Amino acid sequence: MELAVETHGLTRTFGSLRAVDGIDLAVPAGSFFGFLGPNGAGKSTTIKCLTGLLRPSSGSMRILGLDPLADPVAVKRRIGVVPEDLALFDRLTALETLTFVADVHGVEESVARERALDLLDLMDLKAAGTTLVTDFSHGMRKKLSLAAALLPAPRLLFLDEPFEGIDAVASRQIKDLLHSFVERGGTIFLTSHILEIVERLSTQIGVIANGRLVAQGPIEELRTGAAGVSSLEELFIKLVGGDTRAPVALDWI
Amino acid sequence: MLRTLRAFAWMRWRVLMNSIERTGTRDTLERLSLAVEQIGPLIALGLLLPSAAILAALGGYAGYVLPGAERPLAFNALRILLGVATAFCIVGPILLPTMERTSAVRLLLLPIPPRVLYVAQASGALSDPWLLLALPPLLGIPIGLALHGAFAGAVVGILAGLLLASTLVGLSALAAFVLHLVVRDRRRGELVTLLVVIVLPMIGLLPSLLATSKTRAERRTERVARAERLARGQETPLERAARLGARAYMLLPSELAASATRSAANGSAAAAVVPLTGLTVTALAFHGLAFAVFGRLLAAPGSVSRRQTAADTSSRRTWIPGLSRAEAAVAYAQVRLALRTPRGRSILLSPLIVFAMFTALAVQQRHGDLDRLSLNGGLMLAAFGAAICLLSILPFALNQFAVDRAGLTLTLLSPISDRDLLIGKAVGNGLIAALPALACCVLAFAIFHDGPLALWLNLVPAFIATYTAAAPAAAALSATFPRSVNLNSIGRGSNAHGLATFAGMLAMLVAGIPAAALTFAFTRIVRAPILALVFVCGWCLLTLVGSRMLFGAVARIFERRRENLAMIK
Repeated sequence: MELAVETHGLTRTFGSLRAVDGIDLAVPAGSFFGFLGPNGAGKSTTIKCLTGLLRPSSGSMRILGLDPLADPVAVKRRIGVVPEDLALFDRLTALETLTFVADVHGVEESVARERALDLLDLMDLKAAGTTLVTDFSHGMRKKLSLAAALLPAPRLLFLDEPFEGIDAVASRQIKDLLHSFVERGGTIFLTSHILEIVERLSTQIGVIANGRLVAQGPIEELRTGAAGVSSLEELFIKLVGGDTRAPVALDWI
Repeated sequence: MLRTLRAFAWMRWRVLMNSIERTGTRDTLERLSLAVEQIGPLIALGLLLPSAAILAALGGYAGYVLPGAERPLAFNALRILLGVATAFCIVGPILLPTMERTSAVRLLLLPIPPRVLYVAQASGALSDPWLLLALPPLLGIPIGLALHGAFAGAVVGILAGLLLASTLVGLSALAAFVLHLVVRDRRRGELVTLLVVIVLPMIGLLPSLLATSKTRAERRTERVARAERLARGQETPLERAARLGARAYMLLPSELAASATRSAANGSAAAAVVPLTGLTVTALAFHGLAFAVFGRLLAAPGSVSRRQTAADTSSRRTWIPGLSRAEAAVAYAQVRLALRTPRGRSILLSPLIVFAMFTALAVQQRHGDLDRLSLNGGLMLAAFGAAICLLSILPFALNQFAVDRAGLTLTLLSPISDRDLLIGKAVGNGLIAALPALACCVLAFAIFHDGPLALWLNLVPAFIATYTAAAPAAAALSATFPRSVNLNSIGRGSNAHGLATFAGMLAMLVAGIPAAALTFAFTRIVRAPILALVFVCGWCLLTLVGSRMLFGAVARIFERRRENLAMIK
């Protein structure tokens, strides 16, 4: 099985904190991989390591068969990222942002313009094409960040909470788009707190808790493997130990 | 109400302490960087306490010697200090960030009546340094008067001090709320910021430009002639304005308080009634106005800014000779950042304004002596303008990665090598400095067209060589000492890191020495300006090649600092 993302003992520490603690990921190429975990579990740190924003403390990784530490530029040429903080220049317009991305990826100019207009249309941002990003709402920024990630036609997409703050209509269109991306052989590595979305979209999931990978594989396989679990939510709570926490009764509310 | 005020005071104290005790650093270098950043505020805080004690003692002494004194020097010195504090109440909110104090949206969510909210917000002015320095003498003067036995004067002194403090708090609150109302529209706020950025250096420069170079004897003769003229009742418009200004100065709150205290100290408490009444009316007026403006802020706390658009440039080719498309894209992004932020625009405009002021003076004295300015003719003026442009770019060039904020993450995620990124940034910063520098040179040439043409042409390679030689150092310093900045603000909020600024300025000055030395040697010693041009061109080529190589080494520094840079918000 060809793997789009492969890590062995991936670890990242911040002082005494092991934010990512020796995880072994195996994301098949052409899959829609949902990466789940509670707040502070290490999801974003993992994505930052995989995309080259953070250097792992130890362990190895391969992205689309390439070593991102040895040849980061070659890896970045093949991936698209919607990071946690959206990563946009405040003082560029939407069109200028997409032009910048096309330029640094070396996308041919006429192709870049065509793709930029298509993406702005899809994201319902066409009217805001010449508006500075600083004047965008959070949802608009998110859509632009997604457009920037898609423009170079990457083979692997890392999406950190892509549906947070996006309206229902755009969300539907983006889901359709991501589906067709996977159907055409692309791989998506997505984190989201909205388990319904992950359940509906993902073919594979990985669950991280306290920096450790506690499960990974096809959703159905994991669900049937766990006794008394009927939904992804139940499976997730069980995997991260949420079912062992004593209920808190705030009687004063 | 007291509970609310106490909660606000505690919240402000914790915000201050947390900003000083900020943790979360990733390595020793970042800890050093933050420690250096905090030295300034800590020194200021350390100096504030002894200064306040000295001023309180001075106030006590001024009050003690005030009764019967003909020329109360200490008292007059404190009058000036209180006048300056009054001025700072207006200027201060512009120079120091007040957004937290007036964050109306956050306040609206609190279950507090507007009047209490106003008192809590306005009382925040009491922590401003100028008010912290003004209060001790206001307390010291009545104590001194009481020690002298002038009890009526002491009572009036306390009353005047309380009224003045209240007036200054009201004035400070009014200035802060009005400013907040103005900058609520982002674009209007940016315009105001830009004006302040440009006007402040002009005000600083004006006195030295207007200062006369007359001898002491000439000045004495002029003084005598003026006195004679005034005795005859002949006043120039400037003198009349100065006289009216002096009269208006007496109506300043600080002067009203001083007048009331002095009258009471000298035994005529009745004469203190008028200034005290004036002070009361002023305090009420300021607080009334401030409360009305605060009400407007609370009524519509959101931003009212229209969306800012820019021309669609996406169909234009991203191209700069000698650069790859990716490098050119980085350079253009840097230039656009400068063109679209107040601090960036000030980098482009303020050198032109300084240059225009010096040019105006030079034109005025074209046939006279320009030695005082050390700018003999257009050539020197053009070189001076270019040098100012090189120094103006430093806040950008020495923080070239952090100024991008989240945009830097986009760049770091892009398939561009560190070396290409550094070159793109350097060219972008160079273009930002070159645009006003070129304008300065062209204008100076058009106005003066003096000196050999070779020396005029020499300005171009000299400028490029100086910038190119300093650019790798600027990149290394930016990577080592990044500072999160707000390019909408002025002063410290948008400055590069202190260490980077110091070292970067030094690097820029050193980088300029070879071109200046070559020009001087071939012009003044060998007396062959054309050779100056040839050799400076050679030096320029050398710096271009050398800096390309140096960027390889800087890329390794950048790689080591990449994580820290990616965390800059």
